Amino acid sequence: MSNYIPTIGIEVHVELNTNTKIFSNSTNGYGMSANTLVNEIDLGYPGTLPLLNQEVLNIGIKACHVLHCKIRHEMHFDRKNYFYPDNPKNYQITQSRTPIGYDGYVEVDVDGVKKKIEIEEIHIEEDTCKSAHRKNVTLLDFNRAGVPLLEIVTKPCMTSGVEAMKYIEKLREVLLYASISDCKIEEGSMRCDCNVSIRKNKDDPFGTKVEVKNIGSISSVGVSVDREIERQAALYDKGESFKEQTRRFDSKLNDTVLMRVKETGNDYRYFPEPDIPYIHLTDSYIENVLSSISMLPDERREKYKQLGMSTVNIEKIISNKSLSDFLNSFLTSNIDMQIASNLLLGDISSYLNKTNKSICETKLTYDKFIDLVQKSSHRELTSKNIKEMLVDILESDKDIVTLMKEAGISNITDEKEVLRLILKVIENNGESVSSYLEGHDRAFKYLMGQVMKESGGKIDPLVASTILKRELDKK
Amino acid sequence: MSKYLDQSILVIHELLKSKKIKPIDLVLEAYERIEENKDLNLFITLNKEEALKEAKLLEDMEVDNLLFGIPIALKDNIVTKDLKTTCASLMLANFMPIYDASVVLKLKKRHMIVIGKTNMDEFAMGSSSRTSYFGAPHNPWNIEKVTGGSSGGSAGVVAARIVPFALGSDTGGSIRQPASYCGIVGMKPTYGRVSRYGLVAFASSLDQIGPMTRNVYENALLLNAIVGMDSKDLTSVSLEKEDFTRFIGEDICGMKIGVPKYFMSDIVSIEIKEKMENVFSLLKEAGCIVEYIDISYIEQAARLYQVIAMGEASSNLARFDGIRYGYSCKDPKDIDDLYYRSREEGFGEEVKRRIMVGSYLLSGENAKKYYDKAMSVRSDIRTSFLDAFKKYDLLVGPTTVSCACDIAEDMSDPLKGFMDDVLVIPVNMAGLPGLSLPIGFSKEDMPIGMHIMANDFDEATIYKLASFIEEKLALDLCPRGGNYHE
Repeated sequence: MSNYIPTIGIEVHVELNTNTKIFSNSTNGYGMSANTLVNEIDLGYPGTLPLLNQEVLNIGIKACHVLHCKIRHEMHFDRKNYFYPDNPKNYQITQSRTPIGYDGYVEVDVDGVKKKIEIEEIHIEEDTCKSAHRKNVTLLDFNRAGVPLLEIVTKPCMTSGVEAMKYIEKLREVLLYASISDCKIEEGSMRCDCNVSIRKNKDDPFGTKVEVKNIGSISSVGVSVDREIERQAALYDKGESFKEQTRRFDSKLNDTVLMRVKETGNDYRYFPEPDIPYIHLTDSYIENVLSSISMLPDERREKYKQLGMSTVNIEKIISNKSLSDFLNSFLTSNIDMQIASNLLLGDISSYLNKTNKSICETKLTYDKFIDLVQKSSHRELTSKNIKEMLVDILESDKDIVTLMKEAGISNITDEKEVLRLILKVIENNGESVSSYLEGHDRAFKYLMGQVMKESGGKIDPLVASTILKRELDKK
Repeated sequence: MSKYLDQSILVIHELLKSKKIKPIDLVLEAYERIEENKDLNLFITLNKEEALKEAKLLEDMEVDNLLFGIPIALKDNIVTKDLKTTCASLMLANFMPIYDASVVLKLKKRHMIVIGKTNMDEFAMGSSSRTSYFGAPHNPWNIEKVTGGSSGGSAGVVAARIVPFALGSDTGGSIRQPASYCGIVGMKPTYGRVSRYGLVAFASSLDQIGPMTRNVYENALLLNAIVGMDSKDLTSVSLEKEDFTRFIGEDICGMKIGVPKYFMSDIVSIEIKEKMENVFSLLKEAGCIVEYIDISYIEQAARLYQVIAMGEASSNLARFDGIRYGYSCKDPKDIDDLYYRSREEGFGEEVKRRIMVGSYLLSGENAKKYYDKAMSVRSDIRTSFLDAFKKYDLLVGPTTVSCACDIAEDMSDPLKGFMDDVLVIPVNMAGLPGLSLPIGFSKEDMPIGMHIMANDFDEATIYKLASFIEEKLALDLCPRGGNYHE
């Protein structure tokens, strides 16, 4: 296969986390029985007019900010006119002439190299209803009709499947952290359409554009783009050409499949929506909205790093927003963040997963967690202790000291006492000591076992092994 | 037969309050009058059963406002829950709305009784109500003549004294022009005054609901009842509550009144101009200053109207696709067939013509060339009007260039229809309030209307002048006279 330069631009639609729909008071929800979250506005009944959900504007403003876009202060909505059964008014209310945001970027890291993926524009629009095709009929579920969407459009600035995937990963992370959308690709609350073309030389005009839709997961983004690049290259290599078209990614075939060839001159007859007055955003309004954005992932990464958390832990914590949010309340409480993150990612996480709970649903209060981390760093609690007490820590109202008392945990933290016990073990196990000194690791483990046994399990093993080693090495 | 409905609202109110009559007496009388005037074809749907039920319910309630228990008719493009709303189209011939328009809720709050839904041009597209799927309504002054349109049925039912009140809608003169043709008072309020929620949209940036009544005072009363900001209509405007009757009867001496030259140009018939001159004399006698003025681009208003109204209509009427409600063709082959045939069969000729022209006007580059351009000239017209209102309290002129034509008259030239509206459209373009008031009759004995226009939200001043002229002229405005008026 010859070498080609791929060009990729991506349009992402995300459903917004609002309580109600964009133009009506119907509940914005997922997974309900068909046509239960619907009123006359969503159905496009004669005489109805759109409302405007203020929350959507606010989220739009936040999205612009976190994607480094300029925010338009004067804007309006437009009607996009086209007939389709999932489009109840046969026009979609969108922003064509005055998108809320423009000229932004998302910074990604591809193989250690940072690159800014440029964002052309962000606009607000309404979702269509969902149609399901059966044998002879098409069923329409209007629950989704009027769900608020943001469409985020990049410039044609990516050059590989990996880059496309990194962009989507990073975009998803930022949108999640700014509480803009839950970004569940599998449930359709985040939908990616990739425009892919290839050309021989940098100076050539762009090749014929193919739009790839129906990408069902983040990993499919990269695969579908790469497969499409290969497919186009194979055609060009054979000297064939093709028309602008829309394809869908079929994960079973692991390839793109033709949906339709693009008709020339799609005419949407855009004009400004007369039912919604023009919107004027003041600086103070925007500032007020932005003040509610919580710390973004890259800033968290930086903070965690400064506080001594390992890179592995940082990434694991970032990938779980509720844990990260929990941890963020301890940024200034002077606790050991590595231990704190270990606790969260270890036993606590597995408990949460097992019980399908989020951390804020447990009784792990601010004070309790500080206590837990501190007792743990002072060796008053061993990881074995924590494992045993975990359910009580997370589910009871009692504080750590009370729980320790109840469990009879009073660890030997006095170093003199620890030393006394260890020396006693060394004295009583001359044979093993000699064996250790001859280089047998097993002997050390045996001696550690004896120390733990002697202390009744009340010494932190980490402390014990450090001192034991030190004493043995004196021999 | 009782004649309560010939009385003024104040008299009827006293009768109700003193329990001399009950709301049901008024309702029964209204239906008797409907029966007598059946030949006029003014109603599309009657609400008799519900109206009687409602009247019965009201008997035990306190008569708490002037409109309590009074029958009203609604143009059939204002949606009414569980009462058919057809827009005079086969497309909605059996359409039963699932909600009430915001104005309807307001009327119900005052315990007015909806008698029925009135005939109109199909989807309010026309100037004579002859595009109605249910046949043209007839003018009570002369059964051979049109009522005007598109709110022809509403104008007719008030003129024929079937009910004292009706609501119409005005996109390009559809309240004022038929009010003029039928000899009643019709007001198009300032855009944003009255909620459009539940008015089946024709041209969203122009549509406005307004009162159609026998006289000026009652018009102001009905406007009092229907105005107000509505959270369901983002284009409705929040203003302090006011009483539109408050200037009625006040001295008009010193008022400055402008007459746009265009309104008295050669396009207007001589007998209408004579009636206007007569009014000008009255006003001058009363101490008003009456001066001719220029309003820029006013002669372009009808053309701009076509671009804007048809453009918006082509989009507003796209929802009628045979899927969720309304007419659906038989045995469609596929989705495209369902669209094509439902719309081809369900819409009448004029509606289809306007949808096609409107689609063309918004198509591709045309949106910029025509729609945007029209919107920009439209704002120039508005500026020009607003400038005039810096100098004048009100502007006046005739409502129409001629009187109601014969129903039999040819209507194949679509542009000719717009001639009927050249004097009423500029006010829609500017978003301003305008009222038509009867000021006399033609040689053919057809009513002639005068148009009073005001600054944004200054309806009260219109009523002040209108009531003065009404009182001075003291016209006998009962058609089919002998019946109710000796």
